[in-house]
Amino acid sequence: MNLSLLRRLLCLALICCHPTLFAAKVTVDPNQWGDPLGKECISCHEKASPGLAQQWHKSAHAEAGVNCLDCHKASVEDNDAITHEGQVIATIVSPLDCSRCHTVEYEQQKGSVHSEAATIIENRLPALAGHVGGDAIVAAGCDQCHGSKVKLRGDGTIDPSTWPNSGIGRINPDGSKGSCSSCHGKHRFSKAQAREPSACVRCHSGPDSPDKAIYEASKHGMQFQSHRDEMALTSDSWVAGKDYVAAPTCVTCHMGAAGKLKATHDVGMRNVWSLNTPISQRQQLVVFEDGDKLELPESQTSPRRGSELTKSDGSMGKVKGVATPKRRRQAMNLVCLECHSKSFAGSFMKQFDGVIKLFNEKFGKPAKGIMQALYSEGLLTPVPFDEPIEFTYWELWHDEGARARHGAAMASANHTWWEGMYLVGRNFYARFLPQVEMVAGKETAKALIEEHVKSLDHHQWMDKPQKANPILGYDVTRQDNE
Amino acid sequence: MSSRWKLPYFITRHVLYALVIGGVAGIGFMLFLIEFDHLTSSEAFCTTCHSMELAAESYRQSTHYNPVSGVRASCGDCHVSEGVFAATWDHFLGGKDLFSQIFGPDYDDPVINVLHLPDAAFAARTWFKSKDSATCKRCHVLEAIQGKRADTNAIHREETTGKSCIDCHINVVHRKVPDEKTFKRAQWHRMIEEEFGLEAGMANQLMAK
Repeated sequence: MNLSLLRRLLCLALICCHPTLFAAKVTVDPNQWGDPLGKECISCHEKASPGLAQQWHKSAHAEAGVNCLDCHKASVEDNDAITHEGQVIATIVSPLDCSRCHTVEYEQQKGSVHSEAATIIENRLPALAGHVGGDAIVAAGCDQCHGSKVKLRGDGTIDPSTWPNSGIGRINPDGSKGSCSSCHGKHRFSKAQAREPSACVRCHSGPDSPDKAIYEASKHGMQFQSHRDEMALTSDSWVAGKDYVAAPTCVTCHMGAAGKLKATHDVGMRNVWSLNTPISQRQQLVVFEDGDKLELPESQTSPRRGSELTKSDGSMGKVKGVATPKRRRQAMNLVCLECHSKSFAGSFMKQFDGVIKLFNEKFGKPAKGIMQALYSEGLLTPVPFDEPIEFTYWELWHDEGARARHGAAMASANHTWWEGMYLVGRNFYARFLPQVEMVAGKETAKALIEEHVKSLDHHQWMDKPQKANPILGYDVTRQDNE
Repeated sequence: MSSRWKLPYFITRHVLYALVIGGVAGIGFMLFLIEFDHLTSSEAFCTTCHSMELAAESYRQSTHYNPVSGVRASCGDCHVSEGVFAATWDHFLGGKDLFSQIFGPDYDDPVINVLHLPDAAFAARTWFKSKDSATCKRCHVLEAIQGKRADTNAIHREETTGKSCIDCHINVVHRKVPDEKTFKRAQWHRMIEEEFGLEAGMANQLMAK
């Protein structure tokens, strides 16, 4: 067995040998929960906040005897500890708190694209939310999905610009990242609710990732709507192809168990492409010994198991394994195969990949190349969003560009074309290129467009102005006669 | 008959004078104490020290200053016990605050004041606890607490056994200070430094003075 094969097997093991059940069985000794002091909270909270008390009463936690204090208890030295009715508690229950029992899920979500959602946009925020929006938008907009960096004040309160917050990449006072309640609504923690596509909608909607609309417009979403009573959403075991076959939800494909594929709380594990970037890249997932993860473009050399590598936070980590794009695609395909044939699934992926490559080559790379040239020539100021072309470029990849790519990934024809690539094309040809001329002047713009755009086969049609078509009313017959 | 009304032999005329004068002086002294306690419990008296004016700022924003009922609680209503002896004793003890005001740190400086505020708050809470929140109960009657929500009454009826008002109701009037158990001075200092635009570490230096 050669080394590369060995590494591949290790990668496959990494993907497939993720823990066994979707909601992994809690292995903690039941004596570790059900704190008797926590029972005292209930009768008062039934009156003070009956809504959340009732939700807890109906939860699996209540059924198992897990009470308020089991999740909310804190030590006096904790940054966010407060005293409440004689108990030392923390308002925020972080993933690290949940990991007292749900260790497996914590380890999986740690370092995932979800838990890193705030960190990922950290350097974009000042420009977009700061210049275009404002602090109030960061708190009530951006951070509500991406997660805030929770700031504690010396008087024991939490800075209201950072809390309440259930953003999925929230940076918690204990240093952990993420928010379990982002998907598992607080106090009820229903697994059925988290399996619903609507659990994802709070954030996966809007111009840049209209995944709710895409899913609903797809055949998968339609099947879910029609047959939701067959979805076994409340079942303990929830393996696609075994416990339900009616339709896949977001969770099914991105996290769920299917056939022999194990479930995972690392939502990005099965994603080959980065879709919300100026240019999509096939990416390999590096997993470190301490559980942290790092996405690397496929073009970069795969780090060896055991080697040292700089992590996203700048510290060094020892590589435990690497999931290559190929293996990640194989994992996603395993879900498809519960309903579709290999060739059906394979060809679907080819259609999807085709859209990504088209976006990259025809629009993503040329637009990026031109923008870089405009910046390096000093034709644009370094500050983002003070010139119209900057908005055009931003939306080109972040809005319609992302819509097209998400649409293709999840089989909504409308989002792929009319809501996606059609708008990319329109905005590229009818807004971006004219704006290049406005910014750079006729001569320089012409040279830039020649270099980055017209040199590509995709744009050759622009040099054939006589190639008529009746779509816009041009009279082809008369032209032929004349 | 006259012998029946005869005063004991040791009650001489001088003793009688002394008793009458002493009695009048005693009544006068008691009246003085009552007036003294009354006057020195008022907001106007307390805020003659500038440092107390700083404490009054938050008080004037509170519902104890502006309740819908119009029943305003003054400084002494909460911080001075009821009864002339207890009130006088509290004022006597309060004399150490006056001593600190004159000889201690510059409490009139808003930064110094707020840096020392947590210690003042902890001391006040301990005092309230030791009195079983007696001054709260001058106005608030547990059985009569209705609240705006139906549950407020039920909570006070059913969930307060063994508890004193101050156990739950801290930070009602003055600037919020965490419970002593979870208080972290470094975090408090950082907050004050940010608030007053001070360099990091300044709070420590100021406290050391």
